[in-house]
Amino acid sequence: MQVFDAIVVGAGPAGSACAYSLAKEGLEVLVVERGSFAGAKNTWGGAFYGPVLTNLLPDFWQEAPVERPIFQHRYSFLSGESCLSVDYTGPRFKSRPYNGFTMFRAKFDAWFASKAQQAGAIIATGLQADDVLKNGGRISGIRAGGDELPARVVVACDGVNSILAQKAGLRGELLPGDVKQGVKEVLEFPPGEVARRFNLFDGGGIDWEFIGDCTRGLPGGAFIYTNKESLSVGVVVGLKSLVETGIRADDLLEDFKRHPAVAGLIEGGRLVEYSAHLIPVSGLGMMPRRLYADGFLVAGDAAALVLGTGLALEGANFAVSSGIAAAQAVLKATKESDFSAKTLCYYQKLLEESFVLKDLKTHQKAPHFLENRRIYSLYPKLACELADSVFTSDGKPRKRTWKLLREKMKGRVSFYRMARDLIEAARAL
Amino acid sequence: MNIIVCVKQILDPDLPPAKFRVDEQSKRVIPPEGIPFVMNPYDEQALELALRLKEKNGGKIIILSAGGQEALSSIKHALSLGADDGFALSDEAFDGSDSFSVAYILSCAIKKIGNYDLVLCGRQAADWDEGLTGPLVAHRLGIPVINLVREIELSNDKLRFTRVISGGEQVFDVAAPALATVTNEAPQPRLPTGWGIIAANRKQIAVWNAGDIGADVSLVGGRARRRKLTGLFVTERNRSCEFIGGENVLEAADKLAQRLNQLGAIR
Repeated sequence: MQVFDAIVVGAGPAGSACAYSLAKEGLEVLVVERGSFAGAKNTWGGAFYGPVLTNLLPDFWQEAPVERPIFQHRYSFLSGESCLSVDYTGPRFKSRPYNGFTMFRAKFDAWFASKAQQAGAIIATGLQADDVLKNGGRISGIRAGGDELPARVVVACDGVNSILAQKAGLRGELLPGDVKQGVKEVLEFPPGEVARRFNLFDGGGIDWEFIGDCTRGLPGGAFIYTNKESLSVGVVVGLKSLVETGIRADDLLEDFKRHPAVAGLIEGGRLVEYSAHLIPVSGLGMMPRRLYADGFLVAGDAAALVLGTGLALEGANFAVSSGIAAAQAVLKATKESDFSAKTLCYYQKLLEESFVLKDLKTHQKAPHFLENRRIYSLYPKLACELADSVFTSDGKPRKRTWKLLREKMKGRVSFYRMARDLIEAARAL
Repeated sequence: MNIIVCVKQILDPDLPPAKFRVDEQSKRVIPPEGIPFVMNPYDEQALELALRLKEKNGGKIIILSAGGQEALSSIKHALSLGADDGFALSDEAFDGSDSFSVAYILSCAIKKIGNYDLVLCGRQAADWDEGLTGPLVAHRLGIPVINLVREIELSNDKLRFTRVISGGEQVFDVAAPALATVTNEAPQPRLPTGWGIIAANRKQIAVWNAGDIGADVSLVGGRARRRKLTGLFVTERNRSCEFIGGENVLEAADKLAQRLNQLGAIR
């Protein structure tokens, strides 16, 4: 029976980056994907930060199915019917190589997997990896479609619910506190309408995040991403808080869509997709201590490599990077003909030296900080009330902003507590 | 026993209705972006019968499919399930072919293969539901055809077909070669194995053009159509929501029943 040089499980960005890197070096790589095509199981439609991919595939965006380069980032506080926004755009975001893109992973993953296939990897779709094969203490392949498929090394890129990482003993069951639930709609518009409504020029797009009443004070937020001729509109909320309060994420999405700051922008959109998915958000707190074992590596969401700072929720770029690092470790192991943990630990070392684990370390306090409910209820409310007072001209004498703030805070939050939250924010984010 | 299975790739019948659209001007379906075609489910069941016959009696299964890239993926799927070989029939001249032309194209390819005992097709394609191609291929080949077949056996050198009829079955014995169209009462298709998928991925699938199969191009493509499609519409569905209340449950139920009756939903 044939033994593959490497079996990669899951044809997402981590899996395809890994398979592409390995096949390019002449290794016999099998990618096992349970969907009928790469991307078939994917519901992701958001912002992808591209520079990590340009190392592997320079100018990938000219060929890949991206929607719009992101020219503009906007953050909004929602309170009642009010909305206070901060918007940033700069020349760097408008020039090549673009910093980020809106895209649909269903399309992007299919494209990325086809690159791996062209490089020589076998992409076996419609095949689910059910278990790892163990030989002594080491992992020697996978069980899929009723067959045993042996390999020198298995790279698990099988997503947030990674069955293989659990079977390999690297991590336990997923806990509700470690994940957020995302619910998203794709609304389609006639050609040109998205650009007109959002004032978009030169094909650029906007990444717009909301915080406040859109989650009824639960940890999380809402988003709008502009695609070519459609919008991705959704909410992302802590699963544990949903379970505790009995609030449903789809109800939050309906509320969000009715908010006056949003309703007019999405009016008349044709609902073409509705989907939900879990996002691992606990960062280092939920990451397996070791991302390698004898004959085994774990990358992407399966290794919980997602950065959630409140200002950003990034995973796909971390997945690509970890996939490339896994491939480098496999190449080293192949060269040394040693697939034991002793050699494969090089993978974790590479991640520690790269932005992947450095960013997660920098923001390791963020998941805890982001549990602070004042961020989602009181502060957006204060900000909106303050803005309301500052901008109101009703013929009455005005007060200084500082005095207004003190009045609004009275009985709701102390200066001391707010200062502490600010310092914590500065430390965590 | 050599079996040829003709398969068609269609828009996924499980496609969400919001993704299904037709261009009423050109009278074509607009294929939704990023959603691949799938093998016609009746053809999958035809392949399942072929695989069972092969398992019992030995022989070879060859897949034929007219079309470009999508045909390749259907053939690959068939190979992963255990078919031995497959050919995609693709040529610019074939574009716009209707069932009559496709039947002609398939019959040319079948004649080229030559050595066969049985040709199988699905009872119809789950996209246009015409059910013409199978019988037309048989007609072109001059061989007997049995439609709505649920089961096939080899019995004393004869092919025995069990055909589904309303409230019962018919059994026909036919000397090979013959063509059968397979009904949805046939066994459900199997799932591919790991090694099956890997083997299918490694296999090069040959593409035959009009010249390869000796097809007369005046008989294929849009210009060979003798039926002109003059209208193609998606039935409009309207949904509306009404709230019906009352002083108490009995009154509300009464009002609801009246309203449903008025709408013709109950009598």
